[in-house]
Amino acid sequence: MNSKSKIIPWHSRFDLQGITFLFFLLLCLGSFPALEGSGRDLDYWNNLKGFALKLFPPDFSILRSTLQGIWETIQIASLSTLLASVFSLFLSLGAARTISPLWVVSITRMLLNIIRTIPSLLWAILAVVLVGSNPLAGIIALTFYSTGYLAKFFSEAFESADLKAQHALRGLGADQFQAFQYGLWPNLRPIIWSHCLWMFEYNVRSASIIGYVGAGGIGLHLKLYAESADSWNKFSLVLLCMLIIVTVLDLTGERVRKSIRDRLEGKSSLIKKGD
Amino acid sequence: MRVKNLGICVEGKWLIRNLNFTVRQGEFLAVRGSSGSGKTTLLRVLSGSITPDEGTIEKENLNSNECAMIFQDLQLADGATAITNALSGCLGRNSFLSSFLGFTAQEKKQAIKLLNLLGLSDKLNQWTSTLSRGERQRLAIVRSLFSRPRILLADEPTSSLDEKWAKVSLELIKKDVEGRNGSVICSLHDSHQARDFSNRELFIDSNSPENWSIQDVESKKS
Repeated sequence: MNSKSKIIPWHSRFDLQGITFLFFLLLCLGSFPALEGSGRDLDYWNNLKGFALKLFPPDFSILRSTLQGIWETIQIASLSTLLASVFSLFLSLGAARTISPLWVVSITRMLLNIIRTIPSLLWAILAVVLVGSNPLAGIIALTFYSTGYLAKFFSEAFESADLKAQHALRGLGADQFQAFQYGLWPNLRPIIWSHCLWMFEYNVRSASIIGYVGAGGIGLHLKLYAESADSWNKFSLVLLCMLIIVTVLDLTGERVRKSIRDRLEGKSSLIKKGD
Repeated sequence: MRVKNLGICVEGKWLIRNLNFTVRQGEFLAVRGSSGSGKTTLLRVLSGSITPDEGTIEKENLNSNECAMIFQDLQLADGATAITNALSGCLGRNSFLSSFLGFTAQEKKQAIKLLNLLGLSDKLNQWTSTLSRGERQRLAIVRSLFSRPRILLADEPTSSLDEKWAKVSLELIKKDVEGRNGSVICSLHDSHQARDFSNRELFIDSNSPENWSIQDVESKKS
């Protein structure tokens, strides 16, 4: 082989991946001035130590009201995930290229992009303006926010689904809906459930924040304790409860998603009774 | 089923040309040929999922749901249980509303009976994705038989089965379909299986698309 043919020209390294990496490095270099902060000579370490000491010990006298706030947060997350799942199922049919015509796909995707562009906090402000400061505002806000994401995930699941079983059932005389119910849906169901579960976890975290703008949930408690100067130990109890809830949800969700993955890959021999 | 002057062309190459045969009621026709000779394509054309390039296929007094196919790649719903896959064979007989709510006890009993015959009685509630290839193939056979077809097109239905289950499966297919005075058109690689179960054999040769032949198995045996 000719030795010249082994030489790779230097500019060939600059493919799209290389250019974006270089761009990112330049962006980081240009961002260094942001590390200067306020420019004042502050004792960061002592500030942090002082703040951390104020958080301990957590004040358990407010445990009851905190648990009520967390329960409200879970209610907001549950109902918004449920409503968003229902809306997303319909919207995802319109957004899936394998199911709907191109013009319907384009319009639906544009709508979903707009919904996703608006952050959950802004949805919460809009909902509070609409229905006032209560948990309903939180449900409305997170329903819209979650729909933008779930409909995208569902439509991707529809597009990547294996349609062979559905076609086989059509060949055996099943109508379009029967073939969907027994040929396609059993394969999609675990994936869709996995996405819903992830969204629920996400919504519990989001529902903790939107309370800051009055959309119900534990966020309102966080705001109250953060704004009063001597309530940092109450603030820490709320954080502790949230940490426990989020960790439990995370572990449970991961376990369920693993069983779903195993089932889809044929590793699990999970027995389902009464089908 | 009557096939007249059938021609199938794939990517500019003729697989079969001027094919003529009639499948009689109660007959088992084995389709033989080397790999890539066009057996699967022929069965798909006979099922109606592919339009032939030449000729016609006449299916007298046959509704669309009376012709079933066992696919080589099985085409089962992996996310459903074995019993649900078996039961989905009867969807063509059920209305949209009744199947939306599930299946009747009678239908479940009938499906379980078929699953038992093919050794799947202990797999009823197991996810299909967790079954072995051989079990999945037997399940695909049950699903097709449960649709009670008058014409069953089977594309190498025993390719993943051991000798025992291949024999049991072909016996069940033959007995079940022929019991309803139906017909079976089945592609088979194994010459012994073809001789033991079929009435006639259709040989196709991809090298010479018009050089097909139909032989009577009984006359070969004698």
